[in-house]
Amino acid sequence: MLLKTKKLMKAFGGLKAINKVDFELPANEIRGIIGPNGSGKSTFFNLVSGVYEPDPGSYIEFDGNDITNEPPHKVGELGLARTFQLLRLYQDMSVINNVMSGYHTLVPYSFIDAVTGRKKIWDQEKTIKEEMMELLSFVGLADYAELNASELSGGQRRLLVLARAIAGKPKLLMLDEPAAGLSPVNVDNLMKILMRLKEKYGLTLIIIEHILKVVMDTCSKVTVLDHGEKIAEGTPTQIKDDNAVIEAYLGKKMDDEEMRKALAV
Amino acid sequence: MGKFKEIIRQYPFLGFVIAFIILMLVPSVFFTDLYQSHLASLICINIIVAAGLNIVKGFCGQVTVGHVGIYAVGSYTAGCMFLYLGSGLWLTLPAAILIAGLFGVAFAIPSFRLEGPYLALATLGGGEAIRLFIENGDFFMSTYGISNIPQPEIFGVPFDTPDKYYYIAMPIMLIAIYFSFSVLRSSVGRAFMAVREDPISAAASGINVKKHKMLAFVLSAMFAGGAGAVYAHLPPGYIHPNNYTVIEMVTFLAMVVFGGLGHIWGGIIGAIIITIVYDLTRPLYEYQLFIFGLTIVLTILFMPKGIGGFIDKYFIDRRFKTKTGAASK
Amino acid sequence: MKKINIIFSSLLLAVSLLVTSVAQAKDIKIGVSFRMLSDVGYKHGELIQDTVAEWNSSGGINGKKVDLILYNDECKSEKGVANATKLAYQDNVHVIIGSSCSSVTLPMVPVISKAKVPQIIPHSTSSKITLTGSEWIFRVPVSSRFYKIVQAKFTAENAGTKIAHIYVPDQASMDFSKSMIAYVKDEYGVDPVYEAQAGEKETDFRSYLLKAKATNPDALVCSGLVDETVRCLVQSYEVGIPKSVARVANSVASKVEVPTNAGKAAVGVSYAAAFAASDTRPIAKKFVKHIKSRYGVVPGHDFSQMEDLLTMLKPALEKAEKRFSGDLASDRKAVRDSIAGITNFTGLASGPISFCAAGTPECRDGNRTPVMIEYTKGGKNWKTKVAGTVTFNASAGL
Repeated sequence: MLLKTKKLMKAFGGLKAINKVDFELPANEIRGIIGPNGSGKSTFFNLVSGVYEPDPGSYIEFDGNDITNEPPHKVGELGLARTFQLLRLYQDMSVINNVMSGYHTLVPYSFIDAVTGRKKIWDQEKTIKEEMMELLSFVGLADYAELNASELSGGQRRLLVLARAIAGKPKLLMLDEPAAGLSPVNVDNLMKILMRLKEKYGLTLIIIEHILKVVMDTCSKVTVLDHGEKIAEGTPTQIKDDNAVIEAYLGKKMDDEEMRKALAV
Repeated sequence: MGKFKEIIRQYPFLGFVIAFIILMLVPSVFFTDLYQSHLASLICINIIVAAGLNIVKGFCGQVTVGHVGIYAVGSYTAGCMFLYLGSGLWLTLPAAILIAGLFGVAFAIPSFRLEGPYLALATLGGGEAIRLFIENGDFFMSTYGISNIPQPEIFGVPFDTPDKYYYIAMPIMLIAIYFSFSVLRSSVGRAFMAVREDPISAAASGINVKKHKMLAFVLSAMFAGGAGAVYAHLPPGYIHPNNYTVIEMVTFLAMVVFGGLGHIWGGIIGAIIITIVYDLTRPLYEYQLFIFGLTIVLTILFMPKGIGGFIDKYFIDRRFKTKTGAASK
Repeated sequence: MKKINIIFSSLLLAVSLLVTSVAQAKDIKIGVSFRMLSDVGYKHGELIQDTVAEWNSSGGINGKKVDLILYNDECKSEKGVANATKLAYQDNVHVIIGSSCSSVTLPMVPVISKAKVPQIIPHSTSSKITLTGSEWIFRVPVSSRFYKIVQAKFTAENAGTKIAHIYVPDQASMDFSKSMIAYVKDEYGVDPVYEAQAGEKETDFRSYLLKAKATNPDALVCSGLVDETVRCLVQSYEVGIPKSVARVANSVASKVEVPTNAGKAAVGVSYAAAFAASDTRPIAKKFVKHIKSRYGVVPGHDFSQMEDLLTMLKPALEKAEKRFSGDLASDRKAVRDSIAGITNFTGLASGPISFCAAGTPECRDGNRTPVMIEYTKGGKNWKTKVAGTVTFNASAGL
């Protein structure tokens, strides 16, 4: 298993944001996480990536390492990358620098090399830059490399966030609503690029998404959270028919026709 | 020209050698009196401080207003080593850099928990505390100041006049710039910027936020400490706590802001311009503070990224337009 | 954005043009560097400007115009050194006036000595300045080496040598008592009748004062910071030390808080200065009136010293000008020698001011006569009078 959580728990005051979630994810899978607002999806991401510290008794394992109480940068170093719902781009940095800072953990030279400005690091920097430019052209941002990230359009920003997360060659990439706010055409485009990236870099993916179509189309398996608890897990078809999910998600039972309409949004 | 640029990019050290040769020739070609050398040495010292300040403030985004305290630490390390051990610049400079680095550690710790104005207040307190400590310490000669700090000698030649001391201050400044460029152009510099822009996102990319904040503070403290030592030995070699107040801090900050926060040349451009403008406005002392205040306000309003950002914008826009063909429209 | 850039560069250009036009060569150049931040400092600058304008309108120095260059050093040694260097090498002045703060004047001395420009000090008192042995420095105010022992001499001569000391462990307070004790011992061979170090921030001095009272002293020294001095003075009356015993305080006595807070207990306490506004000499009365009407302040000794400096500088420059050769170095030397030749100048200062050729403190601490100013009334509307003057020989306090 690439990622494993056991009895993952997090309470904010009296509110149990995540309650005893057991989660297992094998390598090379695309997993969707869905659930209504406030069901604990983002909290789950924050716990796994180390932004929040889980409550005692929880256990998180990534790629054979216990990362339960590791700080976020340690988790990142191990090869777990993520994006944020609010993007959190480096607004005042150039596009290429955004991506290159995603490469941070793989930089081959040491701090001392950097301070003393040895020639070898300039060669290595050049290689890194070339590699990152390649990644940028892969997502279609190569022309904008020297511009500030703040000058990009909404769709381009989402691509840049993706490129930055992939720059560090992660084993697992967790995407927090990658398509939020995009027009249908852009969503398709993003998903296409995402699939190509997965193939190229051999990624394992976890996707939180509100646009159910995205989840249903791309994910091989879907986990459903509600009130911090895992209420269902299975293939998209299984989930679609799961009563608990329908109740949690849509509030009432629907017939097949209504269901299809709702999910097609 | 393009080929030359390529060579410089390949061997960055070469650029500094060329700069060194040019700067060595500047006094004999352009300077008409000793005062210009004195001013040039002061510019060198200010560049070192501003380049350091740019690392922590411009690149790492940590608002520190206590840097002048660390500058004072550098000066007084040099002063006290001369006073009690009789050491010269070649000993006091590394010692000052080292001790200032330790103070940088102390200044970095509040940055782990505080941000923005709160961090500014904490560091302001730190800087002022250092000055007051010196002012009230007999060990530091309190308000008498330390005088007659000697200028260095090389092969028996004393560098004891402003025109000669320039040849000490200038190479030290170049070495400092070399280090600052090396760091800021590397992955460490990018990590600093990432920490400035978004620490949470930076951490997710595997950047150790605390470690980089610490690095930025320590590095820039070392710059300030080194500059402090060079200043202490500047003829006539006199230091006094009055030279390390909040006003000096504001001047250093103005240099970085004016030159361009987070621009690799920012501190350098700012230090040169502000020092020269300050000197030119010397006879207009009634309006000097007004002119400076106005400059800072205008810069922040109309050129938030300073002169460096302004130049950058111009070049990048042009490059972008040629690349995408936007110019032909 | 581009417009702003143009505005900035044209502003820069305008400023630099202005500067060069100001610094254009005229006949005799005087450079000034001192603190012109505070209200009073600024007015000292005005005083110089007005005086020099007066000289120029009345024919200048032997017909030559005087060009005045004023810089602000903000009481910072860094700025002072830069000003001195600029005045000496770039502005090519004949003489430098400055500075207000000792910590600025001190590092200026090596600069002007190397450049061989005479400098004349209006305000700085630190004895270290003239101890540097420079031939180019002259001091108009009273040196701190005299201030340090003036109370000792004045007390011993006027009250007696049976002195009781109470001081707090503050550096300046301790120094004051110790140097007073040393002076009385050296000059008269008498030890203090009582000596006690009170605690830091002491509020109750009565136990010390009672013990001091038992020794029946001629004078009682209360040496502390403002608050301690006030308490010690007030409590000395509470324990019944008679009025006939002279009360002595250190230099904090010149601060307005002492007469204001000590009230009646401040009467008879004196401090040393180079000039008193309550001076009754006609020349002093005229000066006080002039400054009051022109600058709206009652002049302290900072004003009088500046005035004295300018008054003695004019004839010195006139004398030197006759020997001017047009070569800056020799002209500067002429100015220096001419200032060194000033003897027995009597102005606003309480005693004559004399310089001589050697670069020693004996020669260059020109004013050796501090005036003692005594409080005649305490409280909010405190009043002072001149209690007397103390003249030292040239090598006193070295």
